[in-house]
Parts: sequence; structure tokens; C-alpha cells
Amino acid sequence: MNTIIIDGLAFALPLFIIAIGGIYSERSGVTNLALEGFLGFGAFFGAAAVMAMTGGNLAGLELPMFFIALTLSAIGGALFAMLHALLCVNFKANQVISGVVINILAAALTAFFTSQINTILLGKPTNKFVLGVCQKFTVPGISKIPVLGAFFTDVYIYEPIIIVVALFMTYLLYRSRFGLRLRACGDNPHAVDAAGADVSKIRFTAVMISGALSGLGGICFAYSISASFSPSIYAGYGFLAIAALIFGNWKIGPTLGACLLFGFARSGGYKLAQTLGLASTFSDIIMILPYVLTLFLLMFFSSTNRAPRALGEIYDKGKR
Amino acid sequence: MKHDKQNTVAPLTRGFVKILGDEKRQSISIPLFAILLSLIAGALVILLFGKNPITAFLSFLQGSGILPKSAYAAKKSILTDLLSMINALTPMIFAALAVAVALKTGLFNIGVSGQMLVAGFMATVLVGYSGLPAYLAMPLVVIVGIVFGGAVGAFMGWLKHRFNINEVVASIMLNYIFQYIISFFINTYYINPVSRQSQPVSAAARLTLVDTAAFGLKMDIPLGFILTIPTALLVLFLLNRTRMGYELKVVGLNKRAAKYAGINVGRSVVSSMAISGALAGLAGVTLYLGYYNSIAPRVLTSVGFDSIAVCLLGNAHPIGILFSSLLITIISKGSNYMSSMMNIPQEIAEVITGLILLFSACGAFIKYRVALAREELSALKLKTELAISGKGGKKA
Repeated sequence: MNTIIIDGLAFALPLFIIAIGGIYSERSGVTNLALEGFLGFGAFFGAAAVMAMTGGNLAGLELPMFFIALTLSAIGGALFAMLHALLCVNFKANQVISGVVINILAAALTAFFTSQINTILLGKPTNKFVLGVCQKFTVPGISKIPVLGAFFTDVYIYEPIIIVVALFMTYLLYRSRFGLRLRACGDNPHAVDAAGADVSKIRFTAVMISGALSGLGGICFAYSISASFSPSIYAGYGFLAIAALIFGNWKIGPTLGACLLFGFARSGGYKLAQTLGLASTFSDIIMILPYVLTLFLLMFFSSTNRAPRALGEIYDKGKR
Repeated sequence: MKHDKQNTVAPLTRGFVKILGDEKRQSISIPLFAILLSLIAGALVILLFGKNPITAFLSFLQGSGILPKSAYAAKKSILTDLLSMINALTPMIFAALAVAVALKTGLFNIGVSGQMLVAGFMATVLVGYSGLPAYLAMPLVVIVGIVFGGAVGAFMGWLKHRFNINEVVASIMLNYIFQYIISFFINTYYINPVSRQSQPVSAAARLTLVDTAAFGLKMDIPLGFILTIPTALLVLFLLNRTRMGYELKVVGLNKRAAKYAGINVGRSVVSSMAISGALAGLAGVTLYLGYYNSIAPRVLTSVGFDSIAVCLLGNAHPIGILFSSLLITIISKGSNYMSSMMNIPQEIAEVITGLILLFSACGAFIKYRVALAREELSALKLKTELAISGKGGKKA
């Protein structure tokens, strides 16, 4: 039971922060299929910076480097997201195309630069930055409580950070003037314009926030699942986050539920395969659990699903 | 307005507008212009490596069998290279057509990869291992691919119609589900212990004739390619000349209007996804029982995702798709040769592909700017005409 919660949270929270990024972008009216590319490029940026600073020798510097990677990943993600924002907001590109193209470009660029940087630093063109696993901590006392205590056992350092960021982003979206305008941009951009705010600017910022949060989530995956940055980061987590946010009806609270569902179903599946002592091939069958469950739940909850009204529409001042 | 201040439009803009032409011509000229821009950008990247971009671009063409290489290995020639490029091109065309049909109905089929996998796997299991003679096996492979791909597509459409499940989410979930289930079956029943992939299908069922000796060469003949152009024309006919195609497009443009006009929206959604899935199925069999002859467990091909961009580069038009698929395949197939000839990392090819797609995504922007410049030009023309005819006319 404990491992299900521990592993589930470690997977669900990065996914959640990426999904929040997606919510920001989509609630402002910009379709964002580029989360996958953002998280990959963000993680690459952070990991590459760590490599450049340490020359590949991380010994003794793990913790400060982790925080540097976290910060720089968010910055890298935001910078890369500017491309999507530029295409969708300024260049009036089709937002779906732009998203797909950005995913392709992110994979190509990061693979290219990773091997280039490794050639310079290590003298061999490998496609991997080895980062190690992020440190964990256990809250003394509370962790002894049965079941509930598991939420405080073996917690990756990034988990509380994500929770704090998520709380702040929730506040910003639902309780601030910026958030109100951002949400209005996704439903009725003309009203925002009439109220004297700049739709393009708000959307641009929203996409950049989306990139920053995705980068943050991406580096957390790099520091937990694979313990390195490599092309394997493009494992579809960005698309999973999109699924979570649509499942959550473009709202942060229900999206958290969807992410936790993915996380726990995933870790629960692994645990189930382990306890049943099944051959490793059977784990494939169990791996489909989160997705089947989601699809099944969607059948009941989708009828009220409603996307932001102006989602995917290019804002045209002259149009009524 | 701008022209109040300046009385002349820069000759560059004027020429530019003239070259890009009117709306009709723009559907071709703008993608071409975008490709030109991206090739320039790609050339700059190659220049950064201190290499000659022209030779690099030529080596892409040489690597994919469009231009002759300086030397060939035994039993190889430009023809073998060309055929091997076409072998890779075939699934890409089908996959991009699949995306296009769904897109016309306002649906975004991100599940092409999953549909390809199901079609490929079912064809492999049902026909690939059956030992049927080629004249039976090959048509059966194609039929099985169409049926299963279409069934998966229809299922996604049904989920969308019946439960209002966003097709993007349904596709993503189903992609994972198929990937894992098929991986389980491959690992349990059909695994080849050496290659760690499924057992290769019989040569009779494979849509590509491998290592066929002809003209003193050994070449791979992709039979699936024969179907691509008729299929593209069929899709074109369906969309532009049939009632069903018209209904699909109306649903894509405005669901509510379609409903008021008496179109059965649900049926259109399901049939559009079914057709899209069937095309994806064709892509699946030509990939897994043509280009390859086995399936790697737990891997979803990137063809299905790349095809989205390829489809959009081709303006979601069946004929445009034939050309955009060709361009993207030339770059990916030629990259190997380019990389070894020029001593440039192979990943650069993907960067160039990305750039092409990036610039083509800006097509709408170019169109918008051209329309602006055009307006400006005609306003200017009007003004000069007024000035000539009225002489004492009001000065602007």
C-alpha cells in the first residue's frame, strides 16, 4: 500500500504541474499540444546547464545542482514556449500544427545538442546527461501513521516544491485580476479587449507560463524515473497531461484528481504485478489499467465537458 | 491607414505580392515560399558547421535516389535508393491522408500511430504467419489492415459521438492501451528471441518484395506504393464530389449549421473517423508488413505523429500531401548519406524537417501579410487613378 502511494505521488505531481501549464495555455484560448516538447526542452535546458557547470562530475553537488536544474528548466521551458506563443499569437499559425511542430523540433534540437554537448564535455557523442536521482526525505512522526503516513515517507524534494507552485498558480488563475482576464481570453477575447486589456499579451504570457511549468515537470521526471536526461523523456507524459486536463474539464482541482488517478493506477498496477508474482510480460497488461480506467470514467463524466469557448481560435480584433 | 504617410509601396513588397499571386495560387505558392524560407534557414545551420549547404542539399537528394551518387556498392544503384525511399514514403502518405480526412470533419486524429499498430499487428497475426500464397496473402493483408484500422477509428468516433469524449484524449488513451496489449501478445506468443521483436512475417505476406534480383541489381519493390496515388485520388473524389464528403466538410466547418441542415452529425463523425482509421490501417500494413517485417513491442511508431505535420504542410489536400510526404521522406531518408558525406551529425536532418514544418505553420501569417500589402497596393492604385482623373481632386 505504502509503495503505491509513494510511487504514485512521485509520478502524479510532475504530471499535475505540467497539466496546470496546459490549463493556463488553454484557458487563455491557445490550444497546447506542445506540452511534450516544452517538458523535454525545459528538462534539457536544466540538465545541460548542470552538465556545463559540473563537467559531468556531480559528486557532492547533487542538491545545489538540483535546485539550479529546477530553476533553469522552468526558464528554458518558458523560453522555448515563446516559439509556440510567437507562432500562435503573433503569426496567427494554426495552433494544432504549431504544437505538433514544436514537439518534433524539441525532440530534434535536444537530441542534436545533447550529443554535441557531450562530445565537447565528455569526448563522446552519447545522447544522455546522467543526473542521478533527486534526494528523498521522510517527515519524522507523521510518517508513522498507517496509510496516511505514506504521504510523508520517502518524499522527493520536488514534491513539496510542486505543491507550493501549484497552490500559487491556482491562486493566480482564480483569484487575481490577471487570472480573471486570462480565463476571459479563452471564453470571450473581445470582451477582454473592450475592457482595455491586451489579449495578445495575456495569451503570450499564458503560453510562457505553460512552458515554465512543463519544464519544471519535465526535469522532475528526469530526476526520478530515468535519473538522466535522454530522448526517453519523450514518453508521452505531455500527452498524458493533456488527457488529464481535459478529463479535469480544464479546471485545476479535478485535474489533480485525474493526475492522482493516473499515478496511483500506474503504481498500483506495478505493485499488483509484483505481488502476484507474474512474469514481466504480464506487467504490460497491468500497465493499461490507468488508461482503461480513464476511458471508462470519461464515459460517465464527459457529457458535461466543455472546452473554453474561444479555444484554438486566432484572435482577430475586427471579427465579431 | 499607412498609405496616408507614404505614397509608394516598396518595390520589394510589390514584387513579392505579385509572385505569391491571388488566393487560388497562394495555396501552392505559400507552402513553397515557406519551404524556401526553411531551406535558407537550414542552409544557415549547415554553414555554421562550415560546410557547403548546396552540396549538403544535393547529398540529401543523392541519398534518397533522386540524383546519382558518385559511387555505388555492388548490386546497388540510383534505382535501389529510389525504391527504398518510396518504401518509406508509402506509409507516410497513407498516414497523412488519414489525418486529412479526420481534419476535414474538424476531428484531430492523434491516434494514427495506434491504429497503424493494431492494423499491422492483426495483419501480422492473421495473415503474416499463415503461410498463404502471395496472391491470397497480399490482398488479405491490405483488407485486414483497412478493416481493423477502420474499426478502431470508428470506435474513437463513436466514443466522441456517444459519450462526448474528446477524440484527442480517447486517442491518447487508446494508443497506450493498444501499445501495451500488443506488446503483451508479442512478448508472450510471437517473440523472436534474437531480435527481441515479433517473428518476421512470411515473405509472401510482405507488401514489399525484398532483395528482388532485377537488372543485375538487388532491390526492394514496395508494392504498397501502387495504392497510394489511387487512394489519394479516391479521397479527393470522396471529399469534393460525393454527398458524404460534403457532409463531412460541413460538419467540420460548423457542427450546428450541419445539424440544422439535416445532416446526421453523429454518423458523419463516426464515418469520418472510420475512413481515417482505414487509411491509418493501410499505413500500418505498409509499415509493419512492408517497410519492416516485424513489430517491436512497446514502441509506437513516430510516423503517425509526423504525418500530422506532413498533412498540414500539404494543406490537408490529398494531392498536396503526396508532395509534402515526398519532401519530408527525402530529407529523412537522405539524412544518412548526407551525414556520412558531409561529416555533419545526422540529427541536423530532423532539425531541418522541423524548420520546414515550422515555417509552413506560418503560412497563414504570410497570407495575412500578403492580403494587407495587396489592400495597400489597390488603395494606392485607386488614389493615383483619382489624382489623374480628377486633377484637382482632394489630396489624400
